[in-house]
Amino acid sequence: MTTDTVLDVRDLRVAFGPVEPVRGVSFELRRGERLGLVGESGSGKSLTALAVMRLARRATLRGEVLLEGRDLLRLKPREMEKVRGGRVAMVYQDPMSALNPVYTVGRQLEEAIRLHTRADRRAARERAVELLDDVGVPHPRQRVDQYPHEFSGGMRQRVMIAMAMCADPAVLICDEPTTALDVTTQARIMDLLDRLVEEHGTAVVLITHDLGVAAGFCDAIQVMYGGRIVERAEAERLYRAPVHPYSEALLGAAVDLSLELGVPIPTIGGAPPLAGELPSGCSFHPRCPVARDVCRAELPALEPLSGRSVACHLAAERAATFEESDVPV
Amino acid sequence: MLGFVVRRAATSILLLVAASVLVFVILRLLPGDPIITRLGATAGANPEAIDQLRREAGLDDPILQQYLDWIGGVLTGDFGQSYFSQFSVTDLIGRRIGATLELTAVSILFSLLIAVPAAVFCALRRGSWLDRLVTTGSTVGMALPQFLLGILLILVFAVELRWLPARGYVPFVDDPGENVRRMVLPALTLAIAAAPLILRYLRASMIEVLDSSYIRTAEGKGVPHRRVVVAHALRNALIPGLTMLGMVVGYTLGGVVIVEYVFGIPGLGSLAVESVFKRDYAVLQSVVLLISALFILTTLAVDLLYGVLDPRLRNGGARG
Amino acid sequence: MASPALSLGARFSARRRAPRHGSRTTIAAVTVLALIVLLCVVGPWLAQDPSAIDNANRFASPSGAHLFGTDELGRDLFARLVDGGRISLAIGAGATAVSMLLGALWGFAAALGRGLLDELLMRLADVTMAIPQLLFALVFVAAFGASTAGLALIIGILLTPVTARMVRSAVLGELQSDYTQAALAYGATRTRLVLREVLPNISAPLGVQAAINAANAIILEAALSFVGLGVQPPEASWGTLLQQGYQKMYLSTTGVIFPALAIFLTIWMLNLLADQLGGTDDLRGRAG
Repeated sequence: MTTDTVLDVRDLRVAFGPVEPVRGVSFELRRGERLGLVGESGSGKSLTALAVMRLARRATLRGEVLLEGRDLLRLKPREMEKVRGGRVAMVYQDPMSALNPVYTVGRQLEEAIRLHTRADRRAARERAVELLDDVGVPHPRQRVDQYPHEFSGGMRQRVMIAMAMCADPAVLICDEPTTALDVTTQARIMDLLDRLVEEHGTAVVLITHDLGVAAGFCDAIQVMYGGRIVERAEAERLYRAPVHPYSEALLGAAVDLSLELGVPIPTIGGAPPLAGELPSGCSFHPRCPVARDVCRAELPALEPLSGRSVACHLAAERAATFEESDVPV
Repeated sequence: MLGFVVRRAATSILLLVAASVLVFVILRLLPGDPIITRLGATAGANPEAIDQLRREAGLDDPILQQYLDWIGGVLTGDFGQSYFSQFSVTDLIGRRIGATLELTAVSILFSLLIAVPAAVFCALRRGSWLDRLVTTGSTVGMALPQFLLGILLILVFAVELRWLPARGYVPFVDDPGENVRRMVLPALTLAIAAAPLILRYLRASMIEVLDSSYIRTAEGKGVPHRRVVVAHALRNALIPGLTMLGMVVGYTLGGVVIVEYVFGIPGLGSLAVESVFKRDYAVLQSVVLLISALFILTTLAVDLLYGVLDPRLRNGGARG
Repeated sequence: MASPALSLGARFSARRRAPRHGSRTTIAAVTVLALIVLLCVVGPWLAQDPSAIDNANRFASPSGAHLFGTDELGRDLFARLVDGGRISLAIGAGATAVSMLLGALWGFAAALGRGLLDELLMRLADVTMAIPQLLFALVFVAAFGASTAGLALIIGILLTPVTARMVRSAVLGELQSDYTQAALAYGATRTRLVLREVLPNISAPLGVQAAINAANAIILEAALSFVGLGVQPPEASWGTLLQQGYQKMYLSTTGVIFPALAIFLTIWMLNLLADQLGGTDDLRGRAG
């Protein structure tokens, strides 16, 4: 861990009783770095994010989550409350219901501001107006006194982003921030995020199942499956050469509009495993087109390979295949 | 917003008028004659005296006339003349309404003090043994009618333990200490009877709210836990609970009748009971009207409060 | 004065839920109720004479001779209780029958009538519900007096508006479902529709409402008799017995406790039955 690391997650495990939806996730995030966390529903990506924020109710957390050197999992609830929204903040995927309907947007922003800065009511209100303006809400001075139901989905998400960024956090976690929005708004929100994190030098964890969004935004991407990270690589390299069979399938499953009409859209057969019913060995083996016996028997560890990390018994072979075809891995 | 207020107020007034008509009509349907009943003891009463009394009581006038006289009087604060006592109905009501209002207000306050924290507590510790104990307790409690509960409390606290007096009432202005002592059991009776209703409803509402996204957002902002529970969760959970409050007030007002009887409190409820015994319809109709008015007004207040508490309703927007 | 929570519960269960037949609670509730009814029907023949005065044995504690002890005139309390139970249960049953019948007619008329008839009938229901029940009962008793049959009728009428509301909403719910549309398309007349199709399908919520009404009827009769405006002497219902015991509370608590227990037990069992039939949410926690 270098002094540049803002977030260092080590062997994070999230369990609900006997079921362990997140089994040993580790990654590092440097200042200003943008990390994508990609996977299907049920892969454990949202839960990982909630665990970092310690917002996963009734869950047992194990491992270490070091935010600027402090292990969040060891903090007392009071101390954690100060960290949340301050040094690390989160934007959620359902802007329509994520704001309290009985308070004005301004009041909710002010609450966040006053929790993490020394502003008094008037200063907080001014700051709230500034923030609204910054995230692109038109007529901020009027809108600050309006209620959430008077805002559209895209606008509400902007408000959520403003709330998350108000204390200039070191890490911003975005959990599918654009999934609930229409395509044009999606692009605008991603642009907004792009600009803001660039300006503030915020490190970002972007959780998404949309590879296009991840590709456009992230520096590096982690692929999650069955509660673990199965591949991590710089975005470009991953797209050019996905080593893990699941990554390859995911990329192949992205609908390519240039495909001919008669060609069936490639999908990954089967369904992601439920956290309580994981297959033996590598969790992907039932759906993997190149699974071997060793895959059924042993769980592959996440191992470094030419500057990326892969959790696959066949990683070296597959990387070699790419190299033979002159694709830099 | 103003349109909403006006419309609700108009509905309430209509409801009140209709209720007054209903009560009036039913009482007039009776086969007997109140004056005869009153003088029934004195056999062979002078027919002229009877007629005189009937005329004075306005019983010879056409029904519509009687109704309008009554209502007209009510609107000016004159509830008419009792058939059987020398006091006017207004006097009788005036002397007794204090006790009823005090009892109702204190009971509702107690029931909220009992039920709201219990509901929040149970919602936060959903499924725990305490939660199950409380909810089972309230199911049993709801099966206990108010007068049975009152008798039970008297048995325990007055007869067995002798801590508190069983009956009686002393106005607050006369002797605050005694007033409070005598108010405790009756108010508790009504409060304990009403609390399960509030608790059940509020607990469910709270559980639903605690699962909402905006609660997670508040936690994610670093809002301290207590504030999340009260300012964010409870504030939202109370809104649907308001309907419950309306019902609780209705339930309590209805219960006031019997509880006043059980505890010997000279309020409107016991006045109503006495007037039935005496067939004093002049008193009965006004008391029933008054209590119904209180109920209707509270429901109105609750509806208006909804508008205040839930901003989504204000601009005519749909809820939720 | 009857529990509005029960009425609320009835409103919730107007939506069809699967009744939990055969659950232990249902069986227990039905058994206890059956026992109570049995005791009150058969008891008076087996027990002592409820009006047998025995001044030597006043306020006796429960014993072998007197199961529940005696009252202020030495009369056997158990005998009085089962005798009084006959009246209380009879009034309760009668009132339930009246309210279910009238309520069903009212509710069906409103649901099938639609438009103006519906509005009128429902506004009328609203008005009656604006007056607290016990108070309204007082009005009726003042107007019509209190005889056993009369009380059953009065209480039945008091419980009718709530029943009508529930029936109306249940019927409206059924009318919107596919099978009624299909039946109408096949040319079924409305009467046939109502009797053959709708009525059987709303039997569950009707059952719940009947249980609730029965409980409320018992409460109302007991309350009225307790204040002396219900069952009149020489007859005695549980409410009257309660009042007599209450007058002499400082001398003997059994006189109050046993009638109270009888009333409470009956109501509780009816409540449980209503909950079970309606399949209301398990209070021990909702999913999600």
